[in-house]
Amino acid sequence: MAEERKQRMTATAAAAKVPKMVRANFTANLKAKEEGRPVAFSFIVNCYDEILRAMDIVPAWAESYSGICAAKHDARRFLEKAESQNFSRSLCTYATCGLGFEAWRKELGGEMPPDAPWGGIAKPDFILGTGQMLCDPRYKWPQAVQHYMPDVPAYIGGFYWPPYDENMDQREVEDYYLKYAVKELKGAITFIEKQTQKKMDWAKLEGLTDLVDRTWDMFIDAYELRKAVPAPMDTGDAMNTMVPLAFMLGTQEAYDFYKALYDELKEKNTRKEGVVENEKYRLLWGAGLPPWFALSDFQYFNSKGAVFPAERTYREAERIDRLHLPKLSDPLERIALRWMRYWTNWYDAARKRKDSIPEVERLIEYIEDYKIDGVVFHQAFSCRTWHSGIMLQAQILKKVYKEIPILVLEGDIVDISSYNEADVHARIDAFIEVVDNFTKRR
Amino acid sequence: MTNRANGNGLAKVDSYYEDYGSRARALAKEGKRSIGYISAAVPLEIISAAGFVPVRIKGDPGKAVTKADSRMETLVCPFLRSAFDLTLDGRYDYLDGIVIPHTCDSVSRTYDVWKHSVPLPYYHFLNVPHLDDGPSMEFFIHILRTFIKSLERHTGKEISNESLKNAVEAYNENRRAMRAVYDLRKPDRPLISGVEMMKLLSAVKALPVDESTALARKVADEVKGRKKSSPRKPVRVMLVGDQIDDTALIEIIENAGAQVVMDDLSVGSKLYFSDMEATRDPVDGIAKYYLEKVSLPTFYRDSGGSYEENLELRFGHLKRFVSEFSVDAVILLVYKNCDPYGFEVPATTTYVESLGTPVYYLEDEYSSSSLGRLKTRIEAFLETLA
Repeated sequence: MAEERKQRMTATAAAAKVPKMVRANFTANLKAKEEGRPVAFSFIVNCYDEILRAMDIVPAWAESYSGICAAKHDARRFLEKAESQNFSRSLCTYATCGLGFEAWRKELGGEMPPDAPWGGIAKPDFILGTGQMLCDPRYKWPQAVQHYMPDVPAYIGGFYWPPYDENMDQREVEDYYLKYAVKELKGAITFIEKQTQKKMDWAKLEGLTDLVDRTWDMFIDAYELRKAVPAPMDTGDAMNTMVPLAFMLGTQEAYDFYKALYDELKEKNTRKEGVVENEKYRLLWGAGLPPWFALSDFQYFNSKGAVFPAERTYREAERIDRLHLPKLSDPLERIALRWMRYWTNWYDAARKRKDSIPEVERLIEYIEDYKIDGVVFHQAFSCRTWHSGIMLQAQILKKVYKEIPILVLEGDIVDISSYNEADVHARIDAFIEVVDNFTKRR
Repeated sequence: MTNRANGNGLAKVDSYYEDYGSRARALAKEGKRSIGYISAAVPLEIISAAGFVPVRIKGDPGKAVTKADSRMETLVCPFLRSAFDLTLDGRYDYLDGIVIPHTCDSVSRTYDVWKHSVPLPYYHFLNVPHLDDGPSMEFFIHILRTFIKSLERHTGKEISNESLKNAVEAYNENRRAMRAVYDLRKPDRPLISGVEMMKLLSAVKALPVDESTALARKVADEVKGRKKSSPRKPVRVMLVGDQIDDTALIEIIENAGAQVVMDDLSVGSKLYFSDMEATRDPVDGIAKYYLEKVSLPTFYRDSGGSYEENLELRFGHLKRFVSEFSVDAVILLVYKNCDPYGFEVPATTTYVESLGTPVYYLEDEYSSSSLGRLKTRIEAFLETLA
């Protein structure tokens, strides 16, 4: 099975290109370090994309490196190193894998740990973290990693969005949330200017903000082609095709990638070419980060005739026109409000359906638009951000919408120790039977 | 256990500790309503000014989590799961509402779980920022005003500036009274035990502020009259962690011959060792206090200085406590699944050790089932200090 996992198949040519792109990202941060260009540790989906690109900062995506270690089945030694430093095994394993790496690098006097996957990750010149967007490790990890690199400064920006309240329109308070976010983004620019001694190029920032708007639109346009039956691409591929959106936002390459994906999926739809030859069941990846060491599980689903035409995970974008953004000239306001309206996009729908919540409305939208027969969630034990409240979402979905088969898989993102392939496959088999009965009854 | 009918301070503390929330429940029958809240980041001054008794929702490590299992994931903070389980069980059935702050992911991401599982007339999510810079302060003031408005909408009554100012003063009075009790732990032979202190810290969390202050004063008066309890100077321990709200762990420490003389807990000193500034607009002072003075790891603090300066900013109060309370050793207890405290463990232990004070780190699950294991480890640690 290990061999099978190594040779995980991708259905789209676009997804097949991604590993090289990811590798190029890491080569870029190592090369930049060698050449003395500024490198920043940062986190995906964090508001900073346009700013980083406009200021020629090379991002070193800390979470991504842990994901790579996991995918290469080489995270364990870093997790153990972190544990030896008294970081609990229950903490975010993206973070603990990275912290183990840094503790080891420090022990080696700044050298990369031996045989570091893909040559390692560059030591950053500074760190950019965030509050709320999206999780505790985004402000705790920078603090913790400074224990091993005390000379590296960090900037944490506060980016919040109004909480859902069925009795209050979020737009009533949006103004002060926006003002706050813009000030924090300005703080990030001041911080980077100080670190790099280079001024922001505001015209470039504005151009990149336009580019990101177009990239979001193209991403959604491409992904919505997956509504077709048979589905031309599933979540197994989406865990690759999310890379340009998450790691390369603000680059022409990211836009071009989704344009190529769009063209490819359109062609596949014309040819009625699906992920599986005989598509029987259409599933939604309801929530949860994937087990990076076991992405071949998606192929196991495929082998049962099941495809995932949609997923909520890593779909961190929406068509710009659906966000009803006002005309704004300040690029920082545009960046902040785009994100804020994205996070609150399903609030209005939730208020219209008694006892619903925005997360469930989003599921319902995808279930209807993508003709879904069942929903699969993944609970990663070390991540509270995405995986707390999944049981509630499943319960509310059934209560406010309709009876639909639901599977909740348990595992982790990086730590393979809790994963048992035979058990997971047995649960998938049982679930497929339930979905089969459900579709026949319908 | 102390005789409940006795009516003295410690007996009352004992009674409120054993039957947590009994006073708030009795008051509810008389028409005085209570609002429950999670964590040390909720401004009690505002809840109190709105006419409610703020009740800190606590868990019970002695009770296995059962009902919560089908609603709140096991990956969530074990304290929170216990507190939620008790709430499902009706332990807080007298509450009019619950306020949940944006502290950690466990707390913030389960807001809907509470709301949909425990129907109450009032819920509010308080979006507390993690930062304390200028823009965060302005933002937090807006957040507090939104909170005030939501309470006003709920009660149909305005919360006046005067009532807020009175509440600020009442809580400052309460902090002073609690600090006076803490002072009684400073002598070589502390006048109040760690177990008694924990009971007091817990008991006062479900009382109207004036009753809480009166009780703390009564306890202080009572224990001041005590004779020196032990001829031998105990090993003096400071307990560091989040919501340790039960005496079991402290009993282990004190039964082993040591004494807990200080804490850095979110139910303890984190709440009491700074006063709130009485500002012209009371909301400004409330915002400043919670963002700048309450030392929770969910608040990111960085003055832009060196890493050493940053450690001083985050942990400097521990140095003060070690010195003022003559602490011999620190026990750091962090609950499983706790990212904010968990990521600070190496920094905390390194900092405390740099003071020349030994520190012992334990991970726990907020359950009495793990006490046996903790007991063995704590006794072994204390033996090394004897």
